[in-house]
Amino acid sequence: MLSRLTYTLRETWASFKRNVTLTVAAIITSAVSLLIFGLTLLIQHGFDNLLVKWEGGIEMIVNVRAQASDEQRAVISAALDQQRGVIIQSYTYCDVECSLADADRVLAGDPTSRELLDETNIPTQFKVIPNEGTEVDTLRALKVSYNDLPNVYSVELAEDQIDLIAKLKGFAGLYTTGLAIALMFAAVLLIWNTIRTAMYARRREIEVMKLVGATDWFIRIPFMLEGLIQGVIGGLVACAGLWFVNNRWTAGVAAFPDDSGFEAMVVAGNQLTVVMLIILGIGAVVGMIGSGIAASRFLDV
Amino acid sequence: MIRLENVTKSYSAEVVALRDASFDIPKGEFVFLVGPSGSGKSTLLRLLNREDRPERGAVWVAGRNIIDMPPSRVPHLRRNIGNVFQDYKLLPNKTVFENVAFAQEVIGRPKHVIRQQVPAVLDLVGLAGKEDRFPHQLSGGEQQRVSVARAFANRPLILLADEPTGNLDPATGEGIMRLLDRINKTGTTVVMATHDQRIVNTMRKRVIQLDRGVIVRDQARGVYE
Repeated sequence: MLSRLTYTLRETWASFKRNVTLTVAAIITSAVSLLIFGLTLLIQHGFDNLLVKWEGGIEMIVNVRAQASDEQRAVISAALDQQRGVIIQSYTYCDVECSLADADRVLAGDPTSRELLDETNIPTQFKVIPNEGTEVDTLRALKVSYNDLPNVYSVELAEDQIDLIAKLKGFAGLYTTGLAIALMFAAVLLIWNTIRTAMYARRREIEVMKLVGATDWFIRIPFMLEGLIQGVIGGLVACAGLWFVNNRWTAGVAAFPDDSGFEAMVVAGNQLTVVMLIILGIGAVVGMIGSGIAASRFLDV
Repeated sequence: MIRLENVTKSYSAEVVALRDASFDIPKGEFVFLVGPSGSGKSTLLRLLNREDRPERGAVWVAGRNIIDMPPSRVPHLRRNIGNVFQDYKLLPNKTVFENVAFAQEVIGRPKHVIRQQVPAVLDLVGLAGKEDRFPHQLSGGEQQRVSVARAFANRPLILLADEPTGNLDPATGEGIMRLLDRINKTGTTVVMATHDQRIVNTMRKRVIQLDRGVIVRDQARGVYE
């Protein structure tokens, strides 16, 4: 068993060395395609973060200043209750604790701003779900009337944000995913070609191996391992690229104006880790597919 | 050890490599396959190695009809068959030791067994002391000895040799034949395709003569006609 493992690793390494140019080309191609795919995932995460406050059918948020009294909040609540069943289906009050949790997500990319918020100064929120079929113009009229209520900081409408964000998300998602898929296909082909070339270069050895009774799997495995390693190295390079880009983006966003809205588009550490693991997995699959097809197809050299 | 029953193999309607060939080779026999180029000698060796399959008939090797053998079993069949070729088929980037060890390594022999057996088999073929040489540093005869050592390293039941002396001068060829004879005396069945009239006439072993795919002569202690 150990001697077989040694043999497999030795032959894989020998093939790597023999095929350096093609191997490097295959790794670069897979790294670029995986990086673009990874960026697509990060962008999607960023947009999701931007849209997270509108989850669950919420279409209007009334932001209330921290210094608002219980009576003032009751006035807002009463104003909302007046429209319940007419324009509004339901609403929830997001208290200090809930608003702080929201801030953790929305300001993940702007820790300086987040640090400025605490129990004493964070605005609380009334999150409103309108009736089905409520016109946007009706909500806009409601927004204007709620703006005048005491200690209301602002009133946000989903309609104003979601359309633009959804369009941007769709545009970025479609084109970057399309490009990434095309490049991944190129990576599979390049790995396939690298392995085919490696097998052709070693056709005499393969012929001898078959004649002395080596099984097809014994012959294939070093080549498949070579493809797998190419894919994984490509994935690692792409992960390094993703980390760098995300790091630069996070640093850049901190310098944006507070009301730019971009701070929510920062991808937090755990989301980045998940994307990196996905990219590594896809890299391994791309390598396995390319090399697996070649190693099966070109065994009869 | 080897039995062919009415074997027919064709590559196209016009090219029939073997036609209704039948013979029986008992264990430990030395057999020459003779005949002109294109008579079917190499095809016959390929069939014995399961590199090819006939359209009709049965090929029995070591008690098994290898025509119906599933592809996954073929490597195990080949571990019992050694092959020697006219062009040696040595790996140029491996030393003499590595070339012979390679045949054992790829079938999963443990390293300590390889370290024991390879020097012994190199000694048997007269290449002791040349373990670290590369094929291009050896003469043709020595390269063929490496090829024989590789074929014999796994102690096969059968050794198939396709024109093993075809690229060698007569004296070197005789050396290879003495080696194959020694291997045969250990109990290994040897089937050798050859054009070399002098060798066949000297060895006086069984001769199976082919002509356009048909066995025209099967003679014990025969000569080349």
